[in-house]
Amino acid sequence: MAGTAATGAVCITGCSWRNSSRWEFLSNAQAETLAALADQIIPEDDFPSASQAGVVVYIDRQLMGPYRRHRGAYQGGIESADQISRKFCGVALAQARPTMRQEVVSALAERFREFFEMVREHTMEGYYGSPRHGGNRDAVSWRMLGLKEPPLRGRAHYDLSKGRGS
Amino acid sequence: MKRVFFHVALAAGILILCAAGAIGGATYYYTSQRGAGCAGCHEMADYVGAVHASSHRSVGCFDCHSTGWAAKLRHTAVHLSGRTPEAIRLRDVDVVEMTAKCQSCHQREYATWRAGPHSATYAQIFTNAQQNATRRLMDDCFRCHGMQFSGSIGDIVQPQSLNGPWRIVRAGLASEPTMPCQACHWIHREGLPVSKPVARFSVAGAADGESLAFFDRREQMHFAIAELPLPQIFDRARPVNVSPDQRQALCYQCHAPRQPDAESAAARNNWGAQAGSGDDRTPLGVHEGISCFTCHSGHGESTRASCATCHPVMSDCGLAVEKMDTTYANPASKHNIHWVKCQDCHTHGVPRSMHRGSEFVKPIQWNER
Repeated sequence: MAGTAATGAVCITGCSWRNSSRWEFLSNAQAETLAALADQIIPEDDFPSASQAGVVVYIDRQLMGPYRRHRGAYQGGIESADQISRKFCGVALAQARPTMRQEVVSALAERFREFFEMVREHTMEGYYGSPRHGGNRDAVSWRMLGLKEPPLRGRAHYDLSKGRGS
Repeated sequence: MKRVFFHVALAAGILILCAAGAIGGATYYYTSQRGAGCAGCHEMADYVGAVHASSHRSVGCFDCHSTGWAAKLRHTAVHLSGRTPEAIRLRDVDVVEMTAKCQSCHQREYATWRAGPHSATYAQIFTNAQQNATRRLMDDCFRCHGMQFSGSIGDIVQPQSLNGPWRIVRAGLASEPTMPCQACHWIHREGLPVSKPVARFSVAGAADGESLAFFDRREQMHFAIAELPLPQIFDRARPVNVSPDQRQALCYQCHAPRQPDAESAAARNNWGAQAGSGDDRTPLGVHEGISCFTCHSGHGESTRASCATCHPVMSDCGLAVEKMDTTYANPASKHNIHWVKCQDCHTHGVPRSMHRGSEFVKPIQWNER
């Protein structure tokens, strides 16, 4: 009975006491900065950019699972990216003009090389990996590469009762 | 003693009232906003957003998804523990329940699907003695049958050998369909609500192609038909004329040709995927170039009556085409409807006036409608 009461209470509040962000780990502001950073690594052209393809969703979900160990690095790195951006253009990275973002990210890559390389690696994973992990939305990168996914696999005909395939 | 009992009863009463109020409030909170309340839990936000951009946007979450106590408690436990799965998916039992809920709106489609071969049950597919005695049971069966089942092949059928009798391990699934609506339809797909046409087309007519998508078990997601490949197929060295009807890309995911065996002449000569191999049903001969959907209706798969769509009821030979025994369903028969050639009947030569091959039938293309 107490359990059901707790259930009802949690449902009613919409769990807003726990996290008002639409993301699982990141805050809304952190996600915006990370999206701006990832979009400098894979920008939009004929195909979607990193954030449009769900890379931030991918990283956010992994930070709740296998990449828990990188939580501190992300929080610190994103804060550093915003600090550099404020120093360069007076606003956070997500609010900076597109031309300035590249300079900010270049500076970040120079000063926080380890963090930048981690984000680049995770952005690649999210963009080119399986859509089931949250990135590569609608298998967009596979279509960009011309991969036929899912592949066609006709079943082999065989008859084990005859002791051989047929 | 009476006093103690009174206090216990009072406390229990208050608890029951609080629980009832909280649960009633929660139910109202969720159901009154067509799912917006569900999005209050950030894990759900993406999914609710997808539904609100989908053709089912006018349907509330709880019209399709379970609202039972068990579900609420399970969701709350997962949420509070922080052990949210990487992707939120329907469980086996949810898929089964969903299929019945599809019926409430799509009754005609449900009825024809139920009467057709694609509603085959777990028992029919996985305990088929003819199949199991000659071919090994394997997880790959789930690619096209029971694709939403969460276990391995050993979790659904035993024994795992060529010697039966076989039984369904999870008895509750035995009479449930292995190819439910979600096997070929993407419920949360992006798009506008579909309105029903004033008049229904015949079996060759339009289906709601936009909702067609293949649920890929490995990726645990739907691939829309626009993204699925249409194969290039060869009849030995000759490229086969495959209809460009993109809806067929869905059929080909399961009824697919195979690459030739390594030592075969087809492999040595790079002839590619061979017609008639694997589970392929690509039409050759007189029916080459026509779409699967020209003869097969989307849900019921009934084909007998579709012959009359193109052929006169009485053929040039004086035979009633709908009553002809052409052994059309037997893959070993040269009269199999998928690859019957003029020469198979006209063994002494094809009359010149009939020598028109597949040009005789110009199939209606999906995008021409």
